[in-house]
Amino acid sequence: MSNPVTNTTAKKSNIVLNEFDQPVKGVSLWQDAWRRLKKNHMAMFGLIMIIFYAVISLSAPILPIHSYKQQVLEHQFLPPSTRPAGELMYERQDYLIHALAKKEGRSELNAVELKKLSDLKDSIDTEKKVLLTGEEILVHHRVYLLGTDSLGRDVLARIIYGGQVSILIGLLGAITSVLIGVVLGALSGYIGGTFDSLMMRFVDIMYSLPYMLLVIIFMAIFGRAISNLFFALAIVSWLTVARVVRGQIISLKNSEYVEAARSSGAGTGRIVFRHLIPNTAGVIIVYTTLRVPSFIMLEAFLSFLGLGVQAPFASWGVLIQDGVYAMTTYPWLLWFPAAAMTLFLFSMNFLGDGLRDALDPQSKNKL
Amino acid sequence: MSKYILRRALGLIPTMFIIVTICFFFIRLAPGGPFSSEKKIDPQILKNIQAKYHMDEPLLVQYVRYLGNVVRGDFGPSYKYKDYDVNFYIGRSLPKSLIMGTLALFIAVVMGMGAGMLSSLRQNTWVDYLSMSVAVVGISVPLFVIGPVLMYIFAIKLNILPTSGWIDEQGLKALIIPVFTLSLPYFATVARLSRASFLESLRSDYVRTARAKGLKTSVIMFKHVLKGASLPVVSYLGPAFSGIITGSIVIEQIFRIPGLGRHFVQSAFNRDYTMIMGTVIVYSLILVLMNFLVDVIYGFLDPRISYK
Repeated sequence: MSNPVTNTTAKKSNIVLNEFDQPVKGVSLWQDAWRRLKKNHMAMFGLIMIIFYAVISLSAPILPIHSYKQQVLEHQFLPPSTRPAGELMYERQDYLIHALAKKEGRSELNAVELKKLSDLKDSIDTEKKVLLTGEEILVHHRVYLLGTDSLGRDVLARIIYGGQVSILIGLLGAITSVLIGVVLGALSGYIGGTFDSLMMRFVDIMYSLPYMLLVIIFMAIFGRAISNLFFALAIVSWLTVARVVRGQIISLKNSEYVEAARSSGAGTGRIVFRHLIPNTAGVIIVYTTLRVPSFIMLEAFLSFLGLGVQAPFASWGVLIQDGVYAMTTYPWLLWFPAAAMTLFLFSMNFLGDGLRDALDPQSKNKL
Repeated sequence: MSKYILRRALGLIPTMFIIVTICFFFIRLAPGGPFSSEKKIDPQILKNIQAKYHMDEPLLVQYVRYLGNVVRGDFGPSYKYKDYDVNFYIGRSLPKSLIMGTLALFIAVVMGMGAGMLSSLRQNTWVDYLSMSVAVVGISVPLFVIGPVLMYIFAIKLNILPTSGWIDEQGLKALIIPVFTLSLPYFATVARLSRASFLESLRSDYVRTARAKGLKTSVIMFKHVLKGASLPVVSYLGPAFSGIITGSIVIEQIFRIPGLGRHFVQSAFNRDYTMIMGTVIVYSLILVLMNFLVDVIYGFLDPRISYK
């Protein structure tokens, strides 16, 4: 034990010192959580990747990429390349004509074939096309970094655009389901009694329903609009959040600060929304983070069955479905969308796990 | 204990009743029906068809009639497929889905718990890291990505497994990729859950006592730890069942397996009311029975439950 009294001068009197003369600073829950999150490499990697996806998605309109719905039918199934589309088209035609000539036992091309190739070369350098945006460009000079699909659309643009749709559905869905779940769960936990048991009965019944089957029927029968998809997913996904929040609230509602609030005249609404819910914020944030990937997966699952987002719109699920049907000959149509989606899901899951470890007070001592 | 089982078993009836009721009215709410098509049908003919299928009666009468038929085990005729009724289609496709689902679940639970046990015994070694990495992949990567990727590698590039089809044409090889894909997410979750709960048990006092008595690790694991540590896994089985049912719908789509899932999706598109109802009832019955089984197993493993 050192002697802290002698060191406490008048100047520093507002700074608290510990027994080793070091200044002690109060650390809030959030600072503490952030410090722990920073030490978790996987979670930080996830966070950086998510920021990257967010920047790309938000800046998509000003990025120099092609339109996601512009079809150039001559550019079907071009492989990923940094060279212009015209060169790839020419190579493919050249290869086909030579293969044909070889099959017929000729080593030289005949006049018709040579004419065809030279015509193609001319058109590559001169042919213009008016795009959907109204501008006119030398269409065969376009570059498709990640190749094109069955209608000659740019895969990169479709992945970025599909990502916007998927991430938006994921975020909105997660926020909606968490909002419903938090409000109902908190009220149920705080009020208790008949209201609580009715709520929990209802949640139990909903749990025993094969709800994904109902969602599939719902989408097949009521039409495949994005709003329907969103609605169908949101109404079934708040159950778990409601249960977890209810449990948290029940364990918090007899604490001293709630009694203090009640004795100073605060009503149910104030106690629930100003005192109890903010204290369960950690759990809520973790749940929202972990719900985003599960929503994206659900949307992709439905799109994969042909029940989700409809053309010309795209989502990652739609792109992967297209890719599966074309993968035997054109595997890049599967690889790139699948990689884009998987990386995002990984990142969200890593961040969610990291946040849970960082915000869980029980893991505080296991630093 | 038998009282507890009986009470739970009786609880199945109202649950099934609620599911059938919700589905019936939910489907009928929708605009259009199985007989509305692009081609105009003469109103009199439409009326005749509807009379044949009792669709001109009030909804409530239809509901009671349907309920009576279902209790007798008759799902009625299909509205879209001729010649056979719904029972026939379900009888033909259900075994395929059941074989796939059961195998996937078995692999998920046995291998998952095995991986969890190994990871907990060799914490922070390569065994642990390997199985937990596989688990992370299984949780984050959706089925419809894993399935096609495996199909591309093993069926298209290496050409050692069939891309699609069923046992009758391809032999047992046809099952390998679909079953493995279907089980991966549940293997992953079971491995993570059981690792955490084995780790917790291994630090407890009774394990220390057992070690002090000089028992072998294998005896400690299987005789002492396994029963208690499997509780979280058993309670996860309920969600796993419903996940495998939904997963099998996608798997049957990818690998073109003529199981119940394909009939279900197809009938949802066709608005084939009786077919949708039939498949949903069969799926729900499986789900509800499995959940009942889980509760019973839980009651055996954790005697505190049945006193509640």
